[in-house]
Amino acid sequence: MADASSTQKVTIDGHEVMVPPGTTILDAAERVGVVLPRYCYHPGLSAPALCRMCLVEVEGAPKLLPSCVQQVQDDMVVHTTSADARKARRAVIEFLLVNHPLDCPICDAAGQCELQDYAFETGQLHTRVTDPKMVLGRDNVTPEIVYFGDRCILCTRCVRFMDEVAQEPVLQVVQRGHKGYIDTMTGDLFEHAFSMNIVDVCPVGALVNEDFLFKARAWDLDQAPSICPGCSQGCNISLGTKENQIRRAKPRPNMEVNSYWMCDEGRKTVVNWGSGDRLEVPMLKGDSLLPVDWQRALSALTEALRGEPGAARGVASAGASNEALYILRRLMEVAGFDGGYFAVPMAEEHVLAGFPKLALRSERVPNARGAELFGFERSDDPYAEVASHTGALFVLDDPLDGAPEGFGASAAIFVYLGTRLSPAARRADIVIPVTTFAEMEGTFTNFQGRVQRFAPALQPPGLARPLWMSGSATLERLGTGSAYRSAAETFAALAGDYEEFDGLTYESIGPGGSLIASARTQTARAG
Amino acid sequence: MSERKLHPAVAGAQPMYRAENDPDAPLFEGAYKQRFDDILTRYPDKRAAILPVLAMCQELRGWISSETIERVAELLDLTPAYVLSITSFYTMFRPQPVGKYLIQVCTSIGCDLCGAENVVEKLLAATGTRTGEISEDGLYTVIEVECLGACGFATVVQVNERVYESVKTETVTRLLEELR
Amino acid sequence: MAYPHSHPRETRILSEHFGEIEATTLDGWIERGGYKAVEKALGSMSREQVIEVVKESGLRGRGGAGFPTGLKWSFMPKDDTLPHYLVCNADESEPGTFKDREIMRWTPHQLLEGCIIGSYAIGASHCYIYIRGEFVDVIPVVNQAVVDAYSRGYLGRDILGSGYSLELTVHLGAGAYIAGEETGMLNSLEGRRAEPRIKPPFPAAKGAFGMPTTVNNVESLAVVPHIVTNGGDWYRQWGTEKSSGTKLFSCCGHLQKPGTYEIAMDFNLKDLLYDLCGGPPEGREFKAVIPGGSSVPILAADELDAECSYEGLEAAGSMVGSGGLIAMDDSTNMVHAVRRMVEFYAHESCGQCTQCREGTYWAAKILRRIERGGGREEDIPLLLDISANMAGKTICVLSDSAAAPIVSSIQKFQDDYMALIAKGQHAAVGT
Ligand SMILES: Cc1cc2nc3c(=O)[nH]c(=O)nc-3n(C[C@H](O)[C@H](O)[C@H](O)COP(=O)(O)O)c2cc1C
Ligand code: SF4
Ligand code: SF4
Ligand code: FES
Ligand code: FES
Repeated sequence: MADASSTQKVTIDGHEVMVPPGTTILDAAERVGVVLPRYCYHPGLSAPALCRMCLVEVEGAPKLLPSCVQQVQDDMVVHTTSADARKARRAVIEFLLVNHPLDCPICDAAGQCELQDYAFETGQLHTRVTDPKMVLGRDNVTPEIVYFGDRCILCTRCVRFMDEVAQEPVLQVVQRGHKGYIDTMTGDLFEHAFSMNIVDVCPVGALVNEDFLFKARAWDLDQAPSICPGCSQGCNISLGTKENQIRRAKPRPNMEVNSYWMCDEGRKTVVNWGSGDRLEVPMLKGDSLLPVDWQRALSALTEALRGEPGAARGVASAGASNEALYILRRLMEVAGFDGGYFAVPMAEEHVLAGFPKLALRSERVPNARGAELFGFERSDDPYAEVASHTGALFVLDDPLDGAPEGFGASAAIFVYLGTRLSPAARRADIVIPVTTFAEMEGTFTNFQGRVQRFAPALQPPGLARPLWMSGSATLERLGTGSAYRSAAETFAALAGDYEEFDGLTYESIGPGGSLIASARTQTARAG
Repeated sequence: MSERKLHPAVAGAQPMYRAENDPDAPLFEGAYKQRFDDILTRYPDKRAAILPVLAMCQELRGWISSETIERVAELLDLTPAYVLSITSFYTMFRPQPVGKYLIQVCTSIGCDLCGAENVVEKLLAATGTRTGEISEDGLYTVIEVECLGACGFATVVQVNERVYESVKTETVTRLLEELR
Repeated sequence: MAYPHSHPRETRILSEHFGEIEATTLDGWIERGGYKAVEKALGSMSREQVIEVVKESGLRGRGGAGFPTGLKWSFMPKDDTLPHYLVCNADESEPGTFKDREIMRWTPHQLLEGCIIGSYAIGASHCYIYIRGEFVDVIPVVNQAVVDAYSRGYLGRDILGSGYSLELTVHLGAGAYIAGEETGMLNSLEGRRAEPRIKPPFPAAKGAFGMPTTVNNVESLAVVPHIVTNGGDWYRQWGTEKSSGTKLFSCCGHLQKPGTYEIAMDFNLKDLLYDLCGGPPEGREFKAVIPGGSSVPILAADELDAECSYEGLEAAGSMVGSGGLIAMDDSTNMVHAVRRMVEFYAHESCGQCTQCREGTYWAAKILRRIERGGGREEDIPLLLDISANMAGKTICVLSDSAAAPIVSSIQKFQDDYMALIAKGQHAAVGT
């Protein structure tokens, strides 16, 4: 903790701010709301101070100084918009445009290009450059990522990502001076589990993901903060959506979980998540399975549970939210909880060498830890655990692909809570449509025991609703609880019932997530 | 070929352009393996050996092929891309084969003032090549280079491991004859 | 004698034995009083005393920046246990500069003595002499000297029984002017691209391989044995208060007697040009002179009556720089000359900084166009603006160096530009 005596006073564009020693001018400026333009600087990478875009005037200094590396000194007075600083900034942009193709209308980064942003800001998209430009063309660097040499401003962010974070220095600046460009070894493509971060760090459209190329313009996408469902790491992400579909995911910074990064597999997993044939309406089994309205569906569920069907067993997906699992548990408890099971698909783990807290975890589900906290057990074959159960049978968000013949046939009542109606699910007595993580607010508990919130990014299809909503309404009908009005309220109830969540609320979890009780004491002991 | 054992202090400091190179020469064998090992002892870090080791490869083979790059990367625990970023930064490493005599003419300001451009022209004409090409007989490649650090002796021409001072258009023919 | 010409008005300390082939050998050097300074420093002086005498001498770095050598050495940590390094900067690549080459090829042991004493003063356990790889004729001479010095115990373990041990390695560059910039050199020595580093940290805190390091120019080190032998006051008898001693000026271009001359630092530039260098070629007059390597501003013919001290040349509007004098007579077209210089910087820019990478390239392109008759009047203010945008804003001063000749040539020789522009316009109208 820096005490008052060790903080330093800086004045930036007339705003005074106290910062700890070692703070850079760029960081100090952000505290007073001044965002300095930058190209080479990225908070997750070393700072080589080479683009010279962030130069500012410091009173008493003979030259403009690079704010991304220059540390503040007590009583420093900084001007970020002095005539000299502005001229220097304009000049950097002009220099960058000397060899830039100015192909913004067809560039994938248009709309989120920092060169374009600043060029507009300084009002100079037409240039004094009349001499012919060099042409470099395009080239793949990975099977999926294309490098457009003419757009590259040689900020070396991608090089530093591969060197410092991936710790596989396979991307390099080749040649020198104005002939420089980024390359693997000529012609070689590289593959790396985290390679797409180089597209994210590229401040211009020089590195482009081919899958996304020309498919959607960046400014067309709506963004929602979310958590990657790809594995138990729980990377903080932002979902880019268009026409109610997920088009891409980008990492959101969280120093405790994923820093500024996420893996390639997670990105691919979420694209179009939940699209396709969806279960959109509640259904009840009569002669056959028929759509009904919510009233009838919930009444039927209430009746079935009141009818003492025998103790409940269930299969849940570890991709379900804490809130859904909690409600499932409570529904099952009405009949008597007799065991719940979930499968954990496993695959190879990929640790990010330069930030080893982050790995594409071998557990390829986001909420196995949460499922365990609500008393569900991991099983190699969850279907076998419940297949011949004779009481109440619940299935949550598991499509039952590969369930054995006659799954659920012996159950007194078979309740299917899901997003997809597979042949096995069609045998259910009551079918309740639920939402995917992307269609609701909720939380996952990651492998560390960190509870993290996600926000809705899509409209749910048809009549599908989050389970906390339909389930808590059922509990109210059963007289064992009240219907919750929000995911937050559901979470508050959950936190009251489960010690591990004691004291947590949506508010206290905030954007960064919070550890469950046992994980807190564990880190306290370790630290 | 210098079979005499070199002092480790200078094992990495041998001229890298020689007429009698062989593009297929084995790398890192015999005396060269010894030199490689000696070079490594002179630095606290393997990476630092990259310039002397690459120079040694060029001394043997006359240029740096992608095969050489991969060998060097493997020996020094670096990626091939890293080695390429080095060979392409330092202009003395040749990315393709050159003639037996690599004729480098300084055309920086000191030599330029004293007629370097004419010397280049004369050399190109006499060897029947264009800049950077290998002459038909495989003997010559003429290139322009920046200041060779001998500006008072303009025009400065470096042919493999020899420096020719005060070259004039009139002495070009003699220079070429001397090489044969 | 100096090399290849000499003149009685020189003050020959460093260059006394230039041209004497025997002086290159160890025995020849010892016959000429060599290695006495090493014996004195290592045998009877403390590290601090060596630094002190160099401080007293007022010696300033001869690599271009002119930073006081003794002071630089005093920045090295005193009581740490980390390995220290001395890196001798023998990358000499600045157009017009060829003085270090003469020191190395004629008096390699003079340099080794300086390296040994300098290493001792800063507590270095290893000294690297970073020689540009293009010096193919110089390298074998230095190599031989190093091997001989090892064989006689001037290098290696327990030098001359003093208890001080030093390893020395000859390390070759491979074609990069920017490796001459001291932090670029450190990166290059470490096996990286010779890209200059941001400072701080300074090399004395974190240099080669992350350890405390001093980088010194060949000439700076080579003069140290003389100072150790004769004392600081002795060295101060030449030059001025701020610019003590002698300096090698390597002189090239349009001169009767180009070559390297050693002069007291208060020597007059005009005398150097006309007397020592013999003036311009027959029937010619000087048009412009660059006194300190292509990185310093150009002086016009009427600005040559200047003292060759740091302060004197600065007052005249230029700098001592590396002491690489380039003389241009009245046959020179300044646009062409400047174009060649700027092309050099465009070729040598490491390319990290936007202004330098793009500015050198852009300016060279404009100059080429003007020279070929495609110039426009707006090119003049454009070139000046590009230069202003390039200067004072980058990691190292290569960018400033490229801007210097553009600005000074436009200031002093705008007629050359205007004539080419006018000629081009006429030609365009004529076709
Ligand atoms: C672009 C550039 C090139 C340089 N090249 C050389 C060089 O070739 N030789 C040299 O001694 N110093 C060169 N310097 C100066 C060095 O950075 C450094 O100041 C010097 O080696 C320090 O030695 P000194 O204090 O003995 O002069 C160069 C500087 C710059 C900015
Ligand atoms: S490709 Fe993008 S991230 Fe990489 S150096 Fe170029 S501009 Fe920077
Ligand atoms: S000024 Fe030029 S040479 Fe120096 S670091 Fe920047 S780009 Fe490289
Ligand atoms: S952001 Fe500061 S120099 Fe690039
Ligand atoms: S200018 Fe030709 S050697 Fe320096």
